[in-house]
Amino acid sequence: MTKYTTVSLPVTLHKRVERLIAEKEGFKSVSDYVTYVLREVVAMHETEKTPAPFTSKDVEVIKSRLKALGYI
Amino acid sequence: MKRLLVLCLDSVPPTLLFGKLLEKLPNFRKIYENGTHGVLRSCHPPITVPAWMVMMTGKNPGRLGIYGFRHRRGSSYNEGYIVNSTHVKEPCVWDVLAEHGLKACVVGLPPSYPPKTIHGNLVSCMITPSAEKEYTYPLELKREIQRLVGEYTFDVPFRIEDRDGVKRHLFEMTERRFKVAEYLANNKSWDLFILHEIGFDRLHHAFWKFFDEAHPKYVKGNKYERIAEEYYSFVDERVGSLLSAIGEEASVLVLSDHGSKAMQGAFAINQWLEQMGFVKFVKKPDSVTEFDKAEVDWSATRAWGWGGYYARIFFNVKGREPQGVIPEQDLPAVKKELKEKIMHIRDPTGRLMQNVVFEPEEVYGEAIGDKPDLMVYFNNLDWRSAGTVGHETNYLSENDTGPDDSVHSMDCVFMFRGGGGGRRRTSQEMKGGNIIDIGPTILRLFDIRPPSEMEGRAIDLD
Repeated sequence: MTKYTTVSLPVTLHKRVERLIAEKEGFKSVSDYVTYVLREVVAMHETEKTPAPFTSKDVEVIKSRLKALGYI
Repeated sequence: MKRLLVLCLDSVPPTLLFGKLLEKLPNFRKIYENGTHGVLRSCHPPITVPAWMVMMTGKNPGRLGIYGFRHRRGSSYNEGYIVNSTHVKEPCVWDVLAEHGLKACVVGLPPSYPPKTIHGNLVSCMITPSAEKEYTYPLELKREIQRLVGEYTFDVPFRIEDRDGVKRHLFEMTERRFKVAEYLANNKSWDLFILHEIGFDRLHHAFWKFFDEAHPKYVKGNKYERIAEEYYSFVDERVGSLLSAIGEEASVLVLSDHGSKAMQGAFAINQWLEQMGFVKFVKKPDSVTEFDKAEVDWSATRAWGWGGYYARIFFNVKGREPQGVIPEQDLPAVKKELKEKIMHIRDPTGRLMQNVVFEPEEVYGEAIGDKPDLMVYFNNLDWRSAGTVGHETNYLSENDTGPDDSVHSMDCVFMFRGGGGGRRRTSQEMKGGNIIDIGPTILRLFDIRPPSEMEGRAIDLD
């Protein structure tokens, strides 16, 4: 299972998040909400660094795979 | 609701799962007998991409702007691209759940490569080029999968001359996928778990003629005669194991995105268009040639088509295509002319084919993205479309590019068993559902009101 650690937030921000999630169902805690938002942001930055999803060779491989299966 | 497992069985027709195979599949039978079952109608076109995304977004292919695995790029003649996850711009059910703090695990649902961020975990689908790519969210999940199964398999390489190899790969692929699914189900936190298995589609396309007595090429006593039963049972056992792992409290939804049926043949669309005066060649090919490689006289061609399980037709419109010939104002009349001709196509025995032809806007209302001008089903999809030219006849008994076994149909599987092993403990039939209803249905099961932009209606499962 996932392990957890502690990070510090300014108290005012913590309060704002508390108010925000009180209006939403589902987020059980400020930690829950912060984890969700951070995941989005971190993934966005990680994606910027990952190589392009398809090379031109990849496209040819997928096309011939789909062709062999009758989709093209 | 506590948790929901959605089993996505690509291409499984109700006639097989609810029909002759059900009694041999104890785990699926238990879901069938203790819950609700029925036949859902697929979208147009009934193809893996866009069908799963129609379900997960509750929006039709026109609003998604997705019309198949491959699209034409803009108004070019030969350029195309493979549809991938980045082309899905609408929120999926797990995105809506995330806003409510609920987590998802999504495995294999097409198109999910490249992997997008989700509140939970994601393993991408069969359009992933290879296991060397980044195929998970979060990225480090890939290492966990490697430790678990070694090289994860996304799809089965199909070679017509090596069906034993296809069979071996098929079972191996599914084994690994369920191992990963069980690991994720046990070790990650989730509220919604979506598991997609492409193996059924590959089984049907590669082996249908060996197990369906009604197929024109069926041979009694062939070595693959029991392969459907073997594969479905293999999956059933793994479903049983997955269900034990997650416990009876979770609800289970079983879906397919389209059905399958015996293929009657392939119709050579571009050859026929040439005979009807819509396609002109600089030099007519004297042997079987891909349309992209043929010497087409674009300055005199009015329309051309694409192969696949349905035909896409494009018109060569002045001001739109590079060498367009049809003036914009004449387009409606040319469309009408071609539609009528398509409706008069006969099969090789001389019988009128039951063809279906429509413009995207006619079925979707709005149709965005790289859409075809016309979409055509030959004899209600019994015949696939062949784009190649240079054949002696327009009716090909062999597929021009691959297997000649099965085509798609509009009927999809629906089964639901509530938490606690199915409170009802009686079998109930659901009628009249459409795959577009799945998004709202999933949200409703979590007591979340479906966003008004979702077109479908939640299926009543009380």
